[in-house]
Amino acid sequence: MSIWDRLQAVDRRWVYLVIWVVVALPLIFPFRIRPVTSPPVEKLFDHVDSMPEDKALVLSVDFTPDTQAELFPMLVALLRHGFADGRRVGVLAMQVQGLGLAEEALTQVAHEFNSRAKSHDDSVVNGEDYVFWGWTTPEVTVMLGMGERITNVFPVDYYGTKTAELSIMNHLRNYDDIGLLVSIAGSAIPLSWINYAQTQFGVRLACGITAVSAADFYPYLNSGQFVGMLSGMKGAAEYEELLDAKLLRRGTEWSLRRRATEAMSSQTTAHLAIMAFIVLGNIAFFITRAKRKP
Amino acid sequence: MNLSHDPWVWISAVLTLAIFSFLYKENPFYRFAEHLYVGIANGYAITFYWHRILVPSLVRPVSQGEKLWLIAVAAVGLLYLTRFIPKLSWLVRIPIAIVLGYSCGAYIPRALDAQIIQQLVATIVTRSSFANVWTGIWAVLILLGVIASVSYFFFSAERRGPLKAVSYVGIIFIMVGFGASFGYTVMARISLFIGRLQFLLGDWLGLVK
Repeated sequence: MSIWDRLQAVDRRWVYLVIWVVVALPLIFPFRIRPVTSPPVEKLFDHVDSMPEDKALVLSVDFTPDTQAELFPMLVALLRHGFADGRRVGVLAMQVQGLGLAEEALTQVAHEFNSRAKSHDDSVVNGEDYVFWGWTTPEVTVMLGMGERITNVFPVDYYGTKTAELSIMNHLRNYDDIGLLVSIAGSAIPLSWINYAQTQFGVRLACGITAVSAADFYPYLNSGQFVGMLSGMKGAAEYEELLDAKLLRRGTEWSLRRRATEAMSSQTTAHLAIMAFIVLGNIAFFITRAKRKP
Repeated sequence: MNLSHDPWVWISAVLTLAIFSFLYKENPFYRFAEHLYVGIANGYAITFYWHRILVPSLVRPVSQGEKLWLIAVAAVGLLYLTRFIPKLSWLVRIPIAIVLGYSCGAYIPRALDAQIIQQLVATIVTRSSFANVWTGIWAVLILLGVIASVSYFFFSAERRGPLKAVSYVGIIFIMVGFGASFGYTVMARISLFIGRLQFLLGDWLGLVK
């Protein structure tokens, strides 16, 4: 049996083991990979940056724990951007299992800002600077209802407070007060936002999606229905990079943890390994086939 | 190494390893973790549906004597359960028809605009498409790609002459699309694995800062 025959018959568990090693080693012994930003991410970042001051950033947490690794860093980065710019931020969840993730991200980022705040103006306060509406169903009712009055769709927030009593809701009545709504999703929910919220009410939309579904969403970016897009962990890393550069320019050097950027070294080594597997597998296939031909 | 002292982190780590054990072979630990996940996810969702939807929107107002018409709505909703009673199972068509009618009415006109008309508009090449050389090239390429790919799925005429050539170009565009999707899929799966390893090596074992 030649080496090429053996390669063709290799037990897939060896492949898994190699992937474990090439992913784990760069995490333990990290080397820095600086993500090069792409136009879809830059457009989203620039839009958040250049929105009128009175417009809010709304984040729809449309993912569940199974896609947390890719999408949670996006949520954190967008929250940091919104809070750093002093914008009103609204958060809701379209998937019930996303509620805990949304709360975790809000708690983490609010703590990052409040622990460094020197005055009340620097801090972020629930009900004043941000609101967590929570979850309700069905999505059609939520998306259409938010165009009329958000407090009607979410009479109480996630913590049980009446939303009508929150001061932030005086400036966040419906889609007219929203500068950008970003759907961070592991499914096709961003398309529902286009269908119901954008087609009827004209709200500006962007999406943060898993890499698996990135190819499906590019047409909506090309048509301008999404102002920008973050695709997978790489998209999150690019956004972290842009935000970090902006905060540095502003003189804010907080050295916040950037989970997606940290993962890029492992992502790179894993991709190299997979490319090597594909090339080797193809070489082995063609050589063994050529030998078999009479 | 700085092992976590949080019992929840340990439970999470053990369950992650139980799921990963499937990579070696099917085993009871994997089965246990899989069933536990499905059960907890459903239990969590049902709890929220009860506390966040049914109690505030139905149980509370009706028990306070308000919005009594909701009882009729709830009764129609309960007809879903007749599926378990063979003689009455036809009644399930009533709530399904209502939901289907509402959903189609709400969805179809908006989807036509958002997913067909807007997408068609985006493929039209205009003078503004040539704001710079690259946007012009991409606009023309998208137009060609759409025409060629659609022609591949045109089955009303035999594939001969120009149609054969154009549909062959369509295959190339479709294959490039599949390649991009596959590449993105690999990236996504690796990302999810990295996320778990960040947890195992960082939050659990403390090997990653």
